[in-house]
Amino acid sequence: MKTAVNTVSFTLNGEKKTFSTRPDEKLLDLLRREGYKGTKYGCGQGTCGACTVIMDGRAVYACLLYAMQAEGRKVRTIESMGTHDKPAPIQQELVAAGAVQCGYCIPGIIMSATALMEAEKDITDEVAREYMDGNLCRCTGYEKIWVALRKTIDRAAAEPAKKAPKGGKK
Amino acid sequence: MKLCEFIRPESLAQARAVLRKLGPKGLPLAGGTALHFMPGKVPVTAVDLTGLGLSYIRHKGAFFEIGAATPLSDIQRHRGPRWAMHEICRRISTHQIRNVSTIGGNICRVFPWADLPVVLLAMNARLVIYSGKLKEMGADEYFSSQPARLFRGGDLLAAVKIPVLKAHHGFGSVKAARNAAAFSMVTIAALLELKDGRIAAARVAAGSAIPFPKRLPSVEAALMGKEPSAEVFRAAASLAGNDAKWCKQEGMSAEYVANLAEVSIVDALERAAEFARGRTE
Repeated sequence: MKTAVNTVSFTLNGEKKTFSTRPDEKLLDLLRREGYKGTKYGCGQGTCGACTVIMDGRAVYACLLYAMQAEGRKVRTIESMGTHDKPAPIQQELVAAGAVQCGYCIPGIIMSATALMEAEKDITDEVAREYMDGNLCRCTGYEKIWVALRKTIDRAAAEPAKKAPKGGKK
Repeated sequence: MKLCEFIRPESLAQARAVLRKLGPKGLPLAGGTALHFMPGKVPVTAVDLTGLGLSYIRHKGAFFEIGAATPLSDIQRHRGPRWAMHEICRRISTHQIRNVSTIGGNICRVFPWADLPVVLLAMNARLVIYSGKLKEMGADEYFSSQPARLFRGGDLLAAVKIPVLKAHHGFGSVKAARNAAAFSMVTIAALLELKDGRIAAARVAAGSAIPFPKRLPSVEAALMGKEPSAEVFRAAASLAGNDAKWCKQEGMSAEYVANLAEVSIVDALERAAEFARGRTE
């Protein structure tokens, strides 16, 4: 039985890492402390979705996870997505649709959308809404985000051979 | 809640032994989402149950068995010909929380707005508790008061067994909430068995608008032997006030909540009846 550990090891954006932590430190705080500041602090209580990361292929709120819960898992942050010079398809479509206004929610939106597109086939609007129901945006009224998401999904369906770039490491 | 230590036991027996030793200073952790909102200035030791193989859904004979650490999203995504749990799970909180929150976490300490206890009461589920050995308890006994009472000595919930719906059995649930991610205002679940066009058995439960989830025996009694029609459902639902004292909520009077509950009962019964009529095997 493992007890009283003060470190946590997990794969972060494809690299195995070990971090010092405390039992009550949240994953969000650890990530931001370690420089992964694309993951945003919004509400801090699992409502807004700004802190969404992908853990073992599932979108999760980093503010509602203790860092210790990531032990042995695979965690992906927005830093694993496309770069400024080579944005991922969802990033391209969000920009093209004018869906990025203040931009604070966007990292979380992208991570939820990525989890959706990687987990589901033949994505219906109903399933897409279920995956996106935990991300709030107070600028756009969602319509532009929805347009961008639908275009990205349709684009991926039309080009099944091409996978979305996993992006560079931080 | 403040954590001072994080322990990862490797078996149910080890987890129970640690929790017994820690007493009130120990806290089982599965998804852990609720811990962030629980008050408590005294630091506690988290005993992580996620590595004990308790995340699964299996069809075993007359039951679907769900491991206590199964995330709600797994229950939501599961499909089967006699499976009805996905409908309510897709209505609980947000996608990110459903990916972490577990069925066990939802029902070991019941919050007033919890949906799953209502569903499990209506479905006559059985709860498997580890207390050195596995023992089973019916939902009526388990939810007779706060289930946390059962786990103070370090015992743990191991699994939830949902009866497989038989021919002419139907299940329906309704959750009334302000938006997709909001806590429930009223949750109703109903299980009906039809025989020769009449209701041969009924279990109806309510939650959220009352202090603790419970069955509605007056409603159930009013359904027995009747034909499943909107008129019968409305008459039965009107008796819900005999069993439950509906509480006012933010922006809603108790009368409004009572009306909302009655309408929700009718909707749940109609869904259950439709489900039952369509199932002949």
